[in-house]
Amino acid sequence: MGGGAMAVQTRSGAIGAIASAAGLRRFVFYFGFWFILIGVSPINLIVGLPTAAVAVWVSLRLLPPGDRSLSYGALAGLLLRLPWQSLVAGIDIARRAFDPRMPLRTGFVVFPSRLPPGSARDAFCALMSLQPGTLPVGAGEKDDILFHCLDTAQPVAAQLAAEEARFLRILGQEPRNA
Amino acid sequence: MSVVLDAFTVITVTAGLVFFLAGTVGLLRFPDALTRLHALTKADNLGLGLIVLGLLPQCPDITSALKLIAIWVLVQFAGASASQLIAQFVRRNEPGP
Repeated sequence: MGGGAMAVQTRSGAIGAIASAAGLRRFVFYFGFWFILIGVSPINLIVGLPTAAVAVWVSLRLLPPGDRSLSYGALAGLLLRLPWQSLVAGIDIARRAFDPRMPLRTGFVVFPSRLPPGSARDAFCALMSLQPGTLPVGAGEKDDILFHCLDTAQPVAAQLAAEEARFLRILGQEPRNA
Repeated sequence: MSVVLDAFTVITVTAGLVFFLAGTVGLLRFPDALTRLHALTKADNLGLGLIVLGLLPQCPDITSALKLIAIWVLVQFAGASASQLIAQFVRRNEPGP
């Protein structure tokens, strides 16, 4: 934290931050993304290169390079599970929507999170909104996250705790026994 | 080979459309705003995923395929953030628990 955020306060600092190792890595990523979306021709580069630079500048402000040590193995595992969970979530919705009796037992579950408020918790909430049957609706008291659930008969809190443990492993933190 | 790929496209895209239909049926039938958000985000995400998957074999080059996958990823991000924002708005206006 700190260093990157401070460096982008001034214009010359902004160029310095983009030229840093983290900035260059992000520049390659954003420019690659531009290449996929728009394609590379000289006229496109006039817009694409500055756009990628601005994207790096914004990303360095919003997510300063820190000493995060992500576990890439755990992250890959999570990304591989995403399509499968999307399938389970979609089938779950389709089953309830098409069923004439429409089996729903909606309600709220208060989940005491071990993640600190901030980008880590936001990312966890975004992931959980893609999970079958759960939708984060905001913060509760203290460290609680409030989830809206389609079926409160399911062991929602236990599922959330298991997902949070997986998420903590990505951040390189071994889940403690709660 | 191309017949197999075409059949894969037809089956997968059709399945995707079924999930878009499920999301719409849920939007119409489900009782309240938060439950409808579940229907929209989850069923439509899967519907789009299946349509993208089905169209991949039809791509003329790798860039088009990557572009389709990028669209899917961006919609996942947009759905995950927008559904939470709408849910927070609903909760502020209809105090729940």
